[in-house]
Amino acid sequence: MTPVVEVRGLRVRFGEVEAVAGVDLKAYPGYSTALLGRNGAGKSTTMRVLAGVVPPTDGDVRVKGIDVRREPLAIKRRVGYCPDVGGLVPRATPWEHLQLAARLRRIPDWEPRARELLERFELGDVAHRVTSGFSHGMGRRLSVVLAALHEPDVLLLDEPFDGVDPIGVEATLDVIADARARGACILVSTHLRELAVEACSSVTVLRGGSRVATLTARDMAGEEGARAYRALLD
Amino acid sequence: MPTGLSSTELPRILALERRAVADLGHLLRFRAATASRRRTLLIGSAFLALTLAATVVPAYLPGAGAPGAGRARDALTLLPAAFAGFQLLSLVAAIASGGGRELVSREQLVAYPVSPTTDHLGALLLAPLSVAWLLQSWALLGTAAFGLGPARTAAAAVGVLLWIAAATAIAQAAAWSVEGVRRLPHGIAVVRVGALLLGVLAAWLQLTGRLGPLLDALPTRWFVVGLVDGANGRWVLTVAAELALLLVAVVLGAIPAHLCARLAPREEHDVDSALHLPRPMPRSAWAMLVRIDRASVWRAVPVRRGLLILSVGPGVVAVAGALTWPQLVLLPGLVASGGALLFAVNAWCLDGRGGLWRESLPIGPRAVFTARAWVCLEFLAVASAITVGIGCLRAGVPDAREATAVLAGWLVVLGQVLSASLRWAQARPYPVDLHTARSTPAPPMAMVAYSSRLALTTTLTSLIFSTLARDGTPVVTIAVAVVLGAWSALRLRRTAVAWVDPVIRARVVTAAAL
Repeated sequence: MTPVVEVRGLRVRFGEVEAVAGVDLKAYPGYSTALLGRNGAGKSTTMRVLAGVVPPTDGDVRVKGIDVRREPLAIKRRVGYCPDVGGLVPRATPWEHLQLAARLRRIPDWEPRARELLERFELGDVAHRVTSGFSHGMGRRLSVVLAALHEPDVLLLDEPFDGVDPIGVEATLDVIADARARGACILVSTHLRELAVEACSSVTVLRGGSRVATLTARDMAGEEGARAYRALLD
Repeated sequence: MPTGLSSTELPRILALERRAVADLGHLLRFRAATASRRRTLLIGSAFLALTLAATVVPAYLPGAGAPGAGRARDALTLLPAAFAGFQLLSLVAAIASGGGRELVSREQLVAYPVSPTTDHLGALLLAPLSVAWLLQSWALLGTAAFGLGPARTAAAAVGVLLWIAAATAIAQAAAWSVEGVRRLPHGIAVVRVGALLLGVLAAWLQLTGRLGPLLDALPTRWFVVGLVDGANGRWVLTVAAELALLLVAVVLGAIPAHLCARLAPREEHDVDSALHLPRPMPRSAWAMLVRIDRASVWRAVPVRRGLLILSVGPGVVAVAGALTWPQLVLLPGLVASGGALLFAVNAWCLDGRGGLWRESLPIGPRAVFTARAWVCLEFLAVASAITVGIGCLRAGVPDAREATAVLAGWLVVLGQVLSASLRWAQARPYPVDLHTARSTPAPPMAMVAYSSRLALTTTLTSLIFSTLARDGTPVVTIAVAVVLGAWSALRLRRTAVAWVDPVIRARVVTAAAL
């Protein structure tokens, strides 16, 4: 099977700090891959590179065969991205966010799906209020809605479960399952191992900006998985 | 029911206030640690040098301190009104910013037991970090020095400096009180009606010719009289009264600050909970970008408040002072500079943490840049248009030379301010959420640096066009405008080209999203 996401020797430097130090990664259509690791492991920076937000310092990053460095706009058309921090314009409403996404992504007849997603994530009542008044969990839920609106080929969810209530977690798991069912490639960055196992088919563990292992979700499940994960982090 | 402080309560309150003062030191050290030492030293030295120059140099100018009728006498005659003007400016600035600036933002301090007294003292310390405050202070010191001459300047300067400090503290106390009223039920309406009534009263005084006699009868005259004859008994009495005013205002200001801290900021909550009904999808992607950017600007409490004060205030002054067209040329630059300091100098902070998501959307960086530049430009243009619109009410119909100079000067300063703001916004992005009335788009020292540079550039440019409005020809004015405008356009283009670089864009977006 041809990988949708192919990362080889990815390095990202911010001045003196090397945030990603040689990550290799492959992700396939119809599968969801979890990126696990401690804070500062390079998960979010890798996601930002895949979303076309941060350019790689070195290495080869391709999404559906497109080089992220050469054609970032083409990548952005195919990717749906939920950033790790906020990800919302403070004084715009959810509906305005959705309008912006729909307009820039040229999504035809987007409103029914937008309404359905807002209802599924229980955000229908606040669709026309500015997001600065939102709780952290509400913001996370809306970020997932925005990432999933255009049914992208690649869904990048960075910490989508962080501070989200059980209904929001369930809705996010449903979005991931739907994306898998239609053959999308999903990458979920999180430090919540149990949810990663529930949401994904494989798990890649990052440490100190590098990949240390790729395992099946089953290998990371339960007490055995917890021990294995712990061993990979130390 | 308790009727006063018990013998055990007073020592407890004093201990808490001592702790609040000590906390101010901690916050100052924290703030200093995050600022560049070299930059702080440079700005501090420049501030001291300019203050010293404003106090000493005018005393040695020709005609300074000359007895009898003359410019020195005129300066002294104007000094009581200037004292009152400084008080008014401090009041407006402190009230507009909802109690003054924050030494460290409320969001960052929310987990710490920081007393409102610390917040009050911090806001007082930051009040001088504004070009308007500095220019007015230097003008007061310079006017006193010129009016009195070298022999009596030193004693008078002590009194003027104390007046500046006392007026700032009084303004701070009044601002906390007004902010307290704003936070009560219907408080916003009460404050707005109050401001309107004051405006009507001022207009009535002006139109009925009562403003002049009122200015002559101001209590500030008592302070000026006490400072003009050197260090004698009356001087001691005056300085003691100023010192007492200062201390009382600083101490009493803490009371409304505490009361404010117990009340929810109503205006911010109104913005957070307001319903914005959906509008039809705009025809183009660029129009959609502009719509989102406009929402970010016009829904921000500090920006809306700032615009009102910034544009209406100078316009009213222009009408009251019956400014002529060559004098009106100076106003758009002043207002545009102030407008830029409300958000444009850190324009990418408008997206906050949403910048990361916006950057993942499939649209070219040029469109994003031009949309942001357009929204900044229209804000600056609206602010200065209001001022010019009010100011021209008494200026009569301009002739061709004046009209050309005003329009050309206006366009040039708009270009200068826009170009500088977006350049700085790209070079030094700060993670700021303009959520509260007290928010500023950059840290205090950066704001001083920005405001000084903007004030200097736009004032010099406006002076050129003011001269052209009196003595130039429309052709010369347009030629000058084309040259100056082209320079700003070139610098703006350089910034736009740099924005296309994904490394620069990633740095700005991630810094603003922290």
